[in-house]
Amino acid sequence: MKIRQLLTQWIGLIAVGIRRTASRATDTAKQRSRFSVLGVAVAIALLIMITGLGVGLATSTTVYDDDIDYWIVPETDSPESPLIATDNIQFSSVHETNDRIRHYDGVDATTPVLAQVLRIESSNTAEYVLVVGIINTPELDRVVGVNSDLLTPQDPYYVTGEYNGKWTGEVVLSESAADILTAASGDAVTVAGNNTFTVTAIDNQSSSTGDMPTALVQLSELQRITGAAEYDQADQFVVSTNSPAMKNKLEGVYPRSSVQTRGELTANKVAESDLSLALAFTALVVSLSIGTLFVVTTAGLEIVADQQQLAVLSAMGLSVRSQLQLVGTQTVVLTGLGGMIGTIGGLAGIRLINIVAVRTITTEPIATSHPVFIIYGIGVALVVGLLSLPVLLLTARRVSGGVP
Amino acid sequence: MAGAATASVDSDSSSPIVTARDVTKVYKRGSEPGLIGRIVGRSEPPAVHAVDSVSLEIAPGEIVGLAGSSGSGKSTLLHLLSGLEQPTAGTVSFRETDLAALSARERTRHRLENIGIVFQRFHLLDSLSARANVALPLVELGVPKRERRKRATELLERIGLGDRITHRPGELSGGEQQRVAIARALITDPALVIADEPTGELDTATGQKILEEFKQVAENRTIVLASHDQETLEICDRVIRLRDGAITTRQTQEVNR
Repeated sequence: MKIRQLLTQWIGLIAVGIRRTASRATDTAKQRSRFSVLGVAVAIALLIMITGLGVGLATSTTVYDDDIDYWIVPETDSPESPLIATDNIQFSSVHETNDRIRHYDGVDATTPVLAQVLRIESSNTAEYVLVVGIINTPELDRVVGVNSDLLTPQDPYYVTGEYNGKWTGEVVLSESAADILTAASGDAVTVAGNNTFTVTAIDNQSSSTGDMPTALVQLSELQRITGAAEYDQADQFVVSTNSPAMKNKLEGVYPRSSVQTRGELTANKVAESDLSLALAFTALVVSLSIGTLFVVTTAGLEIVADQQQLAVLSAMGLSVRSQLQLVGTQTVVLTGLGGMIGTIGGLAGIRLINIVAVRTITTEPIATSHPVFIIYGIGVALVVGLLSLPVLLLTARRVSGGVP
Repeated sequence: MAGAATASVDSDSSSPIVTARDVTKVYKRGSEPGLIGRIVGRSEPPAVHAVDSVSLEIAPGEIVGLAGSSGSGKSTLLHLLSGLEQPTAGTVSFRETDLAALSARERTRHRLENIGIVFQRFHLLDSLSARANVALPLVELGVPKRERRKRATELLERIGLGDRITHRPGELSGGEQQRVAIARALITDPALVIADEPTGELDTATGQKILEEFKQVAENRTIVLASHDQETLEICDRVIRLRDGAITTRQTQEVNR
C-alpha cells in the first residue's frame, strides 16, 4: 500500500473511531461510555485536588487560626523578597501612619520596617549585616525572626515628629550576626561608620530569613544614620492581627501598595519543595494506577461486549491492525474526555475545599489551583489511555475475528 | 457419499471462481480434555460434522443457492467459501488459490478485495450512518474521503436509499437496513457476494423486493446465497440442497436473468 493510501486509511480509521465513540457516548452505548469517562474523570479530579492541596500546603500559603501577619509593601516588580529588599520605593511618614494603623480594631501589633544591609564593626571584626529598624511595642513578638522584646518600646528617639528624643543605641543581634561579629551582649559596635551602638541582647532563638545575620535597632535611629529620617521613611509595615478582614483595610493605607500575608512572603517556588513534589508524585502514581485499572476494566468489558462488531469488521475485511486502531482511538478519546471533565471537576473541587476550609478551620485557602493543572490533568488522562492500550489491544486481538 | 461428487457448471464454461473439494468442517462440542482431564479419564468431546465432504464449483456470474433446513450446514459452508473459517479437511480455492495457504491477514485482505458478505441480521455498525457503514470497507482500502462518500452515496441511491444516507441503522426499517448491508457488500466491487439468509429477518413482500434489487445491483456478479425459503431461492441459477452437512441434490433452475 502506498504511503498516501496508508495515510488516508489511518485518517479515515481515526475519523471513524472518533465518530463511533461520539455516537456511542451520546446514543448507542451511553451508559458504558459514560462510565468509562466517569472513571477517568474521578481519578483525574482526585489527582488535581490532591495536587492542589499538596502544593497549597507545601508552599505554606496556609495560615491557620493563629495570629495573622500582614505586610504592607510598596508595589514593585522586584523579584526580591520584601524582607531583604533594599533601595526600593519607600513609604513616608511611617511613624504617624503606624500610630493610625495601631488604632484599627483587631490590630494587635504593628511596626514600620526599614531594612538596610550595613557594615557593622565590632572590636574584633567587621561584617555586612541586615540592619532592621522597628518601633517596638510589648505586643510585637518577633520581626524578621529576631525577638523585638529586647528593644526599648515606642522608639524613644522619635518624639512628636522630631528626631530629638533619647538615643538608645540599642542593637539586638541574631545568633548568626553575633557569631560572625564575635560580639557578646554589652559589647559596643559601630554601625555604618562611627555610629556607636551597644549590643543589648543576642537572640539565640532567632530564625531570621535564610539564617541571614540580622541586627534589630530602633527605627528612628536607623533612619537617622541612613538618611531615611528626612521623610520618615521605611520599606514596609508588618501588622499582627487575628482578623482576616484587616487585609482590605490595610490596602487603603498607602496608594500603590500591596498587602501580603506571612505565607505569601515565605512562599517558595513549588518546584523547590520536596514535600510538594512528593505529594504531587504520589497523587500522580495513584491516579495513573487507579485510572489505568479503571479504563482497562471498563473498556475491556466494552471490547468483549463489542466482540460481534469486531467479528463483523473482520468479515468485511478490516485487518486486526485497523480494528485495534479503532479501539485505540476510542480509548484515547474517552480518556481525553475524562481528563477534561476530571480537570474541570478537580478545579471546582479545589474551590469547594477552599470554601469549606475557610468557613470551618482556616482563614485562608488551603489548596492552590493553577492554569497548568488543565494541561496536567488532560495529559495524565492521555497517559492513562496510553498505559491502558496494550491490555486493551491484546483483549481486542483475542476477541477479534471469528464468525459474526 | 452424496456430496463427494463435484458439481458441474453447465451455465458457464470458464474456470470456476470458487472451488470446494471434499470440504469437511468438524466442530467439537465442548472443550478438549486437558492433562488432568486425560488422567482422570475424561473423554474427548463429541464431534459434529457441520459440513461433510462437500465438493462444488461455482462459475463466474452464477447465482447459486444453498438450501436446507436449519442446522444442515448452509451457513458453515458459506463461511468456508468466504474464508471466515478453515475446513477441517479438504480445500477451498478462490480462483485456484487455496485459502488455507493464506495467512489470517491475507485471508482478511482477500475478503476485503474479493468478497462481499450480506448477513441475515444485517450487522451494521449502529454508531455510523448508512453512508459511513457502506463506505467503511473503502476506508480500509485507503480510498480518499471524497471518493468514499461519492461511491457510497451513488450505491445507496441506486438501491433506493438516497434520502436515508445520513440515517443511522436504528432509524431505518429492517428492509432499509438490509439494503444498506447489500450496498456495503458491493461497495468494493467484489467478484463474489455471499448472502446468508438475506431475507430471513424480513417479511415476504419486503424480502422479495430486496432480492430483486440485490440481483439488479449485483450486476452479473457471482452470488452464493443460503436460505431455507423457496421463494428466495427462485432467483438462483441452481440450488444445492444440504442435509446434515452433505449435499443431497443439485438442481439447475430455469431463471430469467
